[in-house]
Amino acid sequence: MSDKIESIIGYPSLELVTNQVVEGFITGLHKSPFHGFSVEFAEHRLYNSGESTKNIDWKLYGRTDKLFVKKYEEETNLRCLLVVDNSSSMFFPLHKEPSFSNPNKITFAAYACGVLIQMLSRQRDAYGLSLISDKIDLITEIKSNFGHKKHVFTLLESLLKPYDKESKLQTNISPLLHQLAMQIHRRSLIIIFTDLLSEENTEELISSLQHMKHSKHEVILFHVSDKQKEIEFDYNSRPHRFVDMETLEEIKLNPQEIKEAYQKAITDKIQMLKTSCENTRIDFVDADINKGFDQILLPYIIKRTKMY
Amino acid sequence: MALQVTDETFESAVLQSDKLVVLDFWAQWCGPCRQIAPIIDELATEYEGKAVIGKVDVDSATEITSRYSIRNIPTVLFIKNGEMVEKLVGAQSKSKFVDIIEKHL
Repeated sequence: MSDKIESIIGYPSLELVTNQVVEGFITGLHKSPFHGFSVEFAEHRLYNSGESTKNIDWKLYGRTDKLFVKKYEEETNLRCLLVVDNSSSMFFPLHKEPSFSNPNKITFAAYACGVLIQMLSRQRDAYGLSLISDKIDLITEIKSNFGHKKHVFTLLESLLKPYDKESKLQTNISPLLHQLAMQIHRRSLIIIFTDLLSEENTEELISSLQHMKHSKHEVILFHVSDKQKEIEFDYNSRPHRFVDMETLEEIKLNPQEIKEAYQKAITDKIQMLKTSCENTRIDFVDADINKGFDQILLPYIIKRTKMY
Repeated sequence: MALQVTDETFESAVLQSDKLVVLDFWAQWCGPCRQIAPIIDELATEYEGKAVIGKVDVDSATEITSRYSIRNIPTVLFIKNGEMVEKLVGAQSKSKFVDIIEKHL
């Protein structure tokens, strides 16, 4: 369905496509994910002439000729910060035109954020976006209004661009997570999308995640990868040229020769992170860019239900 | 069940009452009002003899509604000796109503 919409309108309208994904996901659930924590419609207030007409209860006006405004409980339940690794390695695999149906890691992360924002805004939760590489490139306020949603979607759409090899943006995630942990004062859910490809060691990353937990935040870490190419290392047995997208360093080799050692190294690293995350009650989720967005929405809903 | 208060019965049921009076301003077409209606009925049963728990339909009792300048519904007024002592606007939990009633009993 979403593919069709995208092909009809000709450009990747992130907001529209992600809304369709969420609609489809909710329809497929047996139970409403909003049950138990939706924000309540709390009262009717007389409409004052001159104020905005957007909140008028028009159904009521149709039935009774009375002009009343619907008021909702203003208090939001949840504050959520979506953190996206914006380094050059996230543009793997290289596509001329990355899209919803044929994503690279950054496109997948952008759509995943869009999908989560659709869920969050349906619950009237507040959300913000942060892009990080070797520094915090951007951090928005955490808000829930309509204008903010448009702003965040525009920022996400700006991520849907082709790989620029001149940018050479490297990842230095740990100090940035420390910084974010100190910067966000109120308890929040922090959802991180990263490919975990950086020079820093695993202990530093774990320490920064623990800092977030220590600051009373809840954390979900989505490890974004093209599983077939990056974890299973599934390449045919002819010589390949591998290029580091962050430094442009090159190496020529036959993948079959290093496949076993590579798989062991990457699996060990991920396993170590998983174990440490389990110990600190951080949700570590493998997100394969070729497997759609249920793998994003389900862990979020489980976390959300546990929090409230 | 809560007492139905009208413009005609307001003076005797509310202003001349020596007990705490809890007045729920509601309308049939208002969802949040229907949401708190069972709570108001429960309170009427639980505080029978100790407080007067009444309901005012804003569509018919226009005098009382304008007297207290009710612009939002549901609104619950707590009236003691003819004077309004507290006001709660919007759908609230039962515990909030109970807290205020206990404070003024």
